[in-house]
Amino acid sequence: MEVKKRLWFMLMITFLITFVVACSDDTDSSSNVGKDGEIAGDLEIQYFVGGYGDSWWKEVIADFQEAYPDVNIIEHAGPNINEEMRSRWVSNDPPDVVYIDGAGSSETQMVEDGQLLDLTEWVAGIELEGGDKLADSFIVKPADYDGKIYSLPLVFDTWGTWYDKALFEESGYTVPTNFDEFMESMSEIKAGEGIDPFVTSGQHPYYFLRGMLYPAFAAAGGEELLADVITGKEGAWSSEQVLEIMKRVETMVEEGMFDSGLGALNHTQSQMNFLLHENTFIPVGFWLPNEMKNDIPEGFDFGFIPSPMNAADEKYAIVPDLRPLAIAQEAENPDAAKAFVEFVFTREYASSFSEHTGAIMNLNGVDLTQNENVPEYLMEANAMINDPDLVQIYEKPHPMSADLETPIGNALISLMLGNMTAEEFVAEAEKAAEEYRTGLE
Amino acid sequence: MVQSKKQKYMFLAFCLVPTFILFSIFTLYPLFSGLYYSFFDWSGSSSNKEFIGFANYIKLFKDAIIPDTIMHDYFLVVTKILGIMVLAMFFAVALTQLKIKEAPFYRIVFFFPNIMSVVVIGILWTFIYNPSLGLVNSGLEFLGLEGWAKPWLGDEKWALPSIVLPAVWAGIGLFMLMLMGGIANISKSYYEAARIDGASEWQQFWKITLPLVWPQVKVSILYIVITTLNGSFILVQVMTGGGPNNSTHVMGSYLYQQAFKQYNFGYGATIGVMILVLSLITVLFIQFLMRREKVEY
Repeated sequence: MEVKKRLWFMLMITFLITFVVACSDDTDSSSNVGKDGEIAGDLEIQYFVGGYGDSWWKEVIADFQEAYPDVNIIEHAGPNINEEMRSRWVSNDPPDVVYIDGAGSSETQMVEDGQLLDLTEWVAGIELEGGDKLADSFIVKPADYDGKIYSLPLVFDTWGTWYDKALFEESGYTVPTNFDEFMESMSEIKAGEGIDPFVTSGQHPYYFLRGMLYPAFAAAGGEELLADVITGKEGAWSSEQVLEIMKRVETMVEEGMFDSGLGALNHTQSQMNFLLHENTFIPVGFWLPNEMKNDIPEGFDFGFIPSPMNAADEKYAIVPDLRPLAIAQEAENPDAAKAFVEFVFTREYASSFSEHTGAIMNLNGVDLTQNENVPEYLMEANAMINDPDLVQIYEKPHPMSADLETPIGNALISLMLGNMTAEEFVAEAEKAAEEYRTGLE
Repeated sequence: MVQSKKQKYMFLAFCLVPTFILFSIFTLYPLFSGLYYSFFDWSGSSSNKEFIGFANYIKLFKDAIIPDTIMHDYFLVVTKILGIMVLAMFFAVALTQLKIKEAPFYRIVFFFPNIMSVVVIGILWTFIYNPSLGLVNSGLEFLGLEGWAKPWLGDEKWALPSIVLPAVWAGIGLFMLMLMGGIANISKSYYEAARIDGASEWQQFWKITLPLVWPQVKVSILYIVITTLNGSFILVQVMTGGGPNNSTHVMGSYLYQQAFKQYNFGYGATIGVMILVLSLITVLFIQFLMRREKVEY
């Protein structure tokens, strides 16, 4: 009898452990409104930590905590945070505030899935410290989804082409302003240094697509062509303008400008090649110096230009790349979330953002020249971008969907390796766009 | 004390129920939920999903990349079986029969890759294949064969064969030990008798060693097939990410790309079902192919 009882007991324990673990209690009993109607309760913030690091976030969150002592801030941060938090989003228990950036996150997908709070009306009422309306103070306006705003662009970044200023000054190479000069400059370098001048990540062909081709499309066909290409509109990829640009890429291949090993390189390896002077040009965003800060050789001096894929009679083109801040539709503490978002968008934090990250926050009227902690390349790039005689800024409607970007990237790598012609590439891309369109129906 | 029937069943239940519960939670439940999700249009990152019947399966049959991924998987299966079994058999026989003094040392060296994580192996070999700094290309240059140097993993033709090498290298040790165990069980008297009858080393290998370790060979091949179909994606993911231009995508890496990078989780689940079906068919086919009377002397 005794044995039997013990056996039952053991069995029960096994069951209990299994089920208690499986069904942990997740109800939230804490109140979101503190005494005197102050904002209180738990505030969960999810932010991706990549090339920009997390020091700026730490500063802002600490300041927010001081300003709102009743709020209990829970940070979810790291380079894999998008994957780690996925189950929370799937089970409709998301964090309150989310900074959308990095692998595994997609603003368009989140809007399609109805996961983000409609901020249209709320944003219209927000003012900055000087009394300006926030809605009028963005460098680039928030993404527009059928007239609604679901996210506020926090980081203004842009892809461009990097080179080592020290090397260029020492050896007298020219910094190109259009594609013809780009080819000349690369020929000089090929002869002078005995290297393949251009490198990008072959494992992630979107670096070339976003860094070199978007500006080229924009320079040739304006925001209209850029939008058509990104949305995969019929005939966009097979148009004359696109073919002409792809011919330029083919020329680069034929002249041996691409690093012969780029097909195998991931983004850090390609960036390492660039720092080691195995190559001299690389398309990356503003985050490059910060991301590689531990590996920069002595005497290396970062120079940034908008990607010179434009024809000789066109200006440099820049296509901003924005990383937004948003509030979850299912946020448990939307008041605190809104308070935090409003708290972040100030010119003061915009200035400190540039100090911490080497990139720009998406607010206008921020004078970086007075801030000696901002890196030099960023000030120069900022001045260049703001010079309308030199650079034209084109906005894209929203990022390209992964369902279109993946097949186009695959064809692109074949083109860059010399296994495909420009004509074959545009045919492949047009086919991919067609499949993408049928997938949306 | 005589056990009552009830006590006996209680004991059996005590042994089996916890395992069965864990098996259900960690194997059966994911298996059936994978099947379930394959009928949905679901991004995998929200709670919205829409039932779409067999649409994912229709897409699967129309997808031009799928046949390539299947080919790549079976290319890896065949080359890995050949590479691993031939080398593992060679080393096993050499270490047991040839009376090498350093045998224990070699046993440890060959087994070493098995205690390393596959991810580490992938990263290690990425460096070995690195076009400018890697061991392979510098070795070729040293031998005066610069013409053969290539960006191995960055070449559409050579990337997949380049992945076979680390896969074989990492696999030899375990199967070598299995075969050595089999060979050690063969009674020495057979070899003595064969030698007296004038059989050469080769004849001894073909007529005695191979038939008597056949059960181990069979298990090894099955194991290689299953682990390749289910696990080859780790090496691919780490070394090439499926590129360049899909030239190294296996079914698993394509599943990962669809489910987690292109947000087509339902379609990813469909690919998972395909992997399950193909693995089952392959295993049954191989068992049929390798059936052989058990040999005893």
